[in-house]
Amino acid sequence: MAVIGLLAKEAADRELLGLMLGELGHSAEGAGRLDEALEFARERKTRAFLLVDGGGADAEILTRELLRAFPLLPVLVAMKVRDASRAVALMRVGALEVVAPPWTPEDLKISVSKGLRFSGTVITVESAAPLSRSPVWYVLAVALFLAAGLGVASLKRVERNRAALAARTDRWELPVRHPAGLAFDGKSLWLVEWFTQSFYALSTIDTNVQLVRHLTAETPVAAAFTGEALWTVSADGTVIRRMRDDNMTPLTRYPKAAPNSAGLAFDGLYLWTLDARAKVLRKHLVDRELSTITVYKWRGVKAAGLLFDGRTLWTLDAADRRLLRHNLEHPEDIVEAVALPEYAEGAYQLVGAAWDGSRFWTVGEATNGKDPARLVRHKREAL
Amino acid sequence: MQAPFLVPVLLRFPGSSARQDSWGRLLKITAGGGEISTAARLAKGEIVFLQFDLGGERMRMTARVYFAYDDADGRRVAAVRWNDMVERRRLARALVDVLARA
Repeated sequence: MAVIGLLAKEAADRELLGLMLGELGHSAEGAGRLDEALEFARERKTRAFLLVDGGGADAEILTRELLRAFPLLPVLVAMKVRDASRAVALMRVGALEVVAPPWTPEDLKISVSKGLRFSGTVITVESAAPLSRSPVWYVLAVALFLAAGLGVASLKRVERNRAALAARTDRWELPVRHPAGLAFDGKSLWLVEWFTQSFYALSTIDTNVQLVRHLTAETPVAAAFTGEALWTVSADGTVIRRMRDDNMTPLTRYPKAAPNSAGLAFDGLYLWTLDARAKVLRKHLVDRELSTITVYKWRGVKAAGLLFDGRTLWTLDAADRRLLRHNLEHPEDIVEAVALPEYAEGAYQLVGAAWDGSRFWTVGEATNGKDPARLVRHKREAL
Repeated sequence: MQAPFLVPVLLRFPGSSARQDSWGRLLKITAGGGEISTAARLAKGEIVFLQFDLGGERMRMTARVYFAYDDADGRRVAAVRWNDMVERRRLARALVDVLARA
């Protein structure tokens, strides 16, 4: 309990504030004039003074006079009319707390409590440090930091694995012996097998066979996928446009459109075929007759495959064991030749190639005719 | 350094918030922001215009509340950051001046 002096010109204010201070457990002694208040402060050793501003009393002057007599005495002011600028002016002359109207025991309690335990402003040029926060905040911050660290480490690991995978050449033995071509449909690799007249869908992750389709009416030698259709070429040179359904239902047949076909590719507008015997690349318009627009000379030795990687055409030369990159505007020009050392020992002969969006795949038939076919995923740097 | 008193501060709010002017004390002043003890219910993210005197200069700072809580007495304590870079530099100069005299 503290003895608090009360200076208010009006008796009603003194009574109201006195009651409130009494409720808060303080002893309040009221005075109507400054000289009474000073006398009271001398006699009772008050801990603080509460002044009323307004109603004929100017708390600014009273505060100044009180502090002149008692410089260390905390002075609180209760305003009768709310005025923020006035409140700041009162604080500038020395009032520690200014209570806004309407006066409530809660506001008074806070102001008296603050007034009795006042301190000074901390002044520094350093930027404000974060305020003390709850332990939950720190736990969450640490958890977030750890999660971010783990996330970064995980991303780095994924990137390392991806780089290691890209730098690696993988080989798989296939459950077939007579592959004829390779194609990619956006999800799986499709292997064309002429001996069993079948298509095998292979996983690009482990090359497991996901699906097998038998086309006993034809002997397929090459295939290419477009958005809606599957194009195949039979051994007799018939190009067939098919639905991409379970039965690979034929839609249109173009007899003798691609004789001696070593490969088939679609560049988004034109269909391209590679004639292994005539050593020519044919550019076809996808119309009712699959009209040949232009024929380009192919400058390789033994044509074995054709693909479009989204930008340009590539052909496979089985004799020189290399992939040839063509200028799409002038396909007779070879702009790049990439050797395939995986076939250097001669045990396998290249028969098809595909592009899965990031890596090249090739398939080879065993030269002895007995061993299983081999599928190779080439490292990215080499191509 | 700690001043022998708490610096009084006048609080004003943007017209759109339709709030009365208020007042408080600066518990801390730095070149980047400060801490205010006030009866006004300041909330995180709120924009507030502060006016106070420091080293004989009147500072008018625009600030954003980035943290606010009620202290043990129930009074609002708000940590603010100064928004205006020009005023911030002016304040930094005043702070250096005050600290040099201390």
